[in-house]
Amino acid sequence: MSETRRTTPTTTAPPTQPAGADFILRAHDVYKTYRMGRVDVPVLKGASIDVKQGEWIAVLGASGCGKSTLLHLLGDLDQSDPGKGEIFFEGEPINRRTRSQRNLYRNRTVGFVFQFYHLLPELNVLENTFIPALVGLTRFSYYAKRQEIHRRAEELLQSFGLGDRLKHRPQELSGGERQRVAIARALMNQPRVLLADEPTGNLDENTGGEILDLLAEQHRAGLTIVMVTHDRSIAGRADRIVELSQGRVVTID
Amino acid sequence: MYHVVLTNRYLTSRVIPLIAVGAVALCAALVMIVVSVMSGFLDMVRDSGRTLMGDVVIELAVEGIPYYEDLIKRIEALDESEAASPLVDSFGMLQMPYPQGDNKQSEYVQFWGIEPESFARVTGYADTLYWRELDDQERRTAPQWDLRRQLTPQVLKDGLTLHDSRSDRPGIVLGMHVSKANERMPEGGYHPMGDGYWWMPAFDVTLVTIPTRTIGGQVEPESFIFPVVNEFVSGVFQIDDVRVKIPLEVGQRMLHLDEAELVDPDDPFTVIGTDPARVSKILIRAADGVSPNQLRDRVIRLYDEWVMEYAERDDLIVTPPTREFGLSIRTWEQVQARFIGPVEKERDLMRILFSIVYVVCAALVLTIFWAIVHEKTRDIGILRSVGCSRIGISLIFLRYGLVIGVLGSVLGLILAFIIVRNVNTIHDAIGRDAPVWSWVTAFGFAAVSLMMTILATRREHMLPVVLWSLGTIAMFGLGIILLFHRGTLVWDPTVYYFDAIPNTLDVPNAIVTIIGAILFSVLGAFIPAAKAADTDPVEALRYE
Repeated sequence: MSETRRTTPTTTAPPTQPAGADFILRAHDVYKTYRMGRVDVPVLKGASIDVKQGEWIAVLGASGCGKSTLLHLLGDLDQSDPGKGEIFFEGEPINRRTRSQRNLYRNRTVGFVFQFYHLLPELNVLENTFIPALVGLTRFSYYAKRQEIHRRAEELLQSFGLGDRLKHRPQELSGGERQRVAIARALMNQPRVLLADEPTGNLDENTGGEILDLLAEQHRAGLTIVMVTHDRSIAGRADRIVELSQGRVVTID
Repeated sequence: MYHVVLTNRYLTSRVIPLIAVGAVALCAALVMIVVSVMSGFLDMVRDSGRTLMGDVVIELAVEGIPYYEDLIKRIEALDESEAASPLVDSFGMLQMPYPQGDNKQSEYVQFWGIEPESFARVTGYADTLYWRELDDQERRTAPQWDLRRQLTPQVLKDGLTLHDSRSDRPGIVLGMHVSKANERMPEGGYHPMGDGYWWMPAFDVTLVTIPTRTIGGQVEPESFIFPVVNEFVSGVFQIDDVRVKIPLEVGQRMLHLDEAELVDPDDPFTVIGTDPARVSKILIRAADGVSPNQLRDRVIRLYDEWVMEYAERDDLIVTPPTREFGLSIRTWEQVQARFIGPVEKERDLMRILFSIVYVVCAALVLTIFWAIVHEKTRDIGILRSVGCSRIGISLIFLRYGLVIGVLGSVLGLILAFIIVRNVNTIHDAIGRDAPVWSWVTAFGFAAVSLMMTILATRREHMLPVVLWSLGTIAMFGLGIILLFHRGTLVWDPTVYYFDAIPNTLDVPNAIVTIIGAILFSVLGAFIPAAKAADTDPVEALRYE
């Protein structure tokens, strides 16, 4: 782990959810410092963000401003500096949960989409899509739910125009197709929030547009989306833009 | 469930696990083969000890054991014993009928004077006699040159009684390698040289020895001419090379251990009694279910009582020696200790040395797994992002190790079984010049490989060129080796004690090896698995 644990006392407000708010996901004054060799590099310096239920929010910022880190913290893939800020999901601080609860949170509550797709090369399209559904299943319970799992994955892929690619390996697909598989995987367990890290960053404009259309469709269906991007035009597709600079949220559009 | 899917996919879609399985299989097979041969060798030493001398041996060299007939009677009356047999033994020179005329070659021999009937009951003597009539079944499979096709039952009978029925004289039975006339054939079996001319039972030999028991006076050598009646194969080269068997009475006479008059040392003309006949050894066979150690302890008790009883008798001038005077009562294992000991030590040493092979195996699996985990770092990040636990991820790699261990050791077992079973065939093949087809085939493959190399150079890729070139070099090298290979005797019976390599798989050892290989494979996977579990998902996902 490359994170650095700080022991200095925090000066921020105690981590409690403000009363009456209807935010589904909330980062409150979080700090994150990475250690590069012997130097501590602060990435987030008291960033706060509130995400409402059903909202599509874009986090805009230049490279290295900490936007991906913020996304990782929201998805509990990484933890903020101890005692320095807190992430809430539906009012509950997520970093006070047990390990298995946190694994479950990543598996069921949020879905990640990455810039570089991150598909498993040994698995075919269908298997890549349903792998989150296998987590936590025993061999026995898998066989009980097998048909249901396969049907759900196939439906998702079909709706994304990949019905004829089920048995293909990721390396046999184009970039746009790969990203669609990645989105299908993220949606497999019907998460509450989709966390997308530069989802079009590796694609040409047309293909990127198709991916954004796909996200917009999911958003219309009620999915909450947090999307990180450095491209203002892409950010424009979201309901709201949060601009991040030097580890802090500077503007909320 | 995802571990099962991923383990299966990782195993079936890459070459690395195949290499790991191959490495584990080779290591396991190596250990199993070496220990099996060593254990087999040890068992052969043990078995031969037993078939050659029974279970317990009473021994008093030079002096000899008097009143042995009475002692044997008492021993045979014991519940613990099956049979007992007296013998005298010493060293001598045997004048062979060859090379020609009066020019006789002498061989150094160790002769045993035996009582054939009781000796056969104590040891496996009858089964060791080589020259006998073949039964119908054997006659069908025996090669044409086999002299035994022409023999009558009398040859075996003469060997069993140590009596030459044609000349009505006491006969001698030679170890198969005592005469230099017998040649071991590649098909198995022996054939006398000169196309059967030098068949020993057709000749006489002269045994010359120095009497061991001499009371004063000058020592004169004793000699005796025997007709050879048969030859024996015990399977132990060192014995078949030097030992001959003659009737007990003749042996006793030659060694001056037969019954004699005892004269007054001060007055050589006054006979004061009888010096009883003696033997230098009594061989005893244990009854079924009695261990050699139990029998030995019982015989020691009996002997001590017997000596006490004789010591109290007034009518005897000569009394049996007590155990303090060099008389030993030992089990065959103790007698053979100088053979068994080193072999046992060698086997243990081999076990230790080859345990290093296990460690190499674990290191190999560790390296391979390390490479796999390194390569799979990104996958681990992905799996963590979809909610897989650390334990779940480490389980993928532990399962991987387990499967490789199980597959590798089972393959190793099969390989070891095939090699151990055919070890003598393989050895004989190495012992001969390579057949023409073998090197022609190798050169043929080399030519095909070379052609493929040339074809591969036309394409863009480097790997096929390298692989086909290596194939060409390997096949060409093999062809050259086979072409110039001249028979090499690896297992030289004069060095290795037995004339065949043991060829049974040591099952308990194989089980231990399999468990060890699986354990080490899992252990080898443990560290990379822990490393995988500790991988920071953010770090793992950072780059494409």
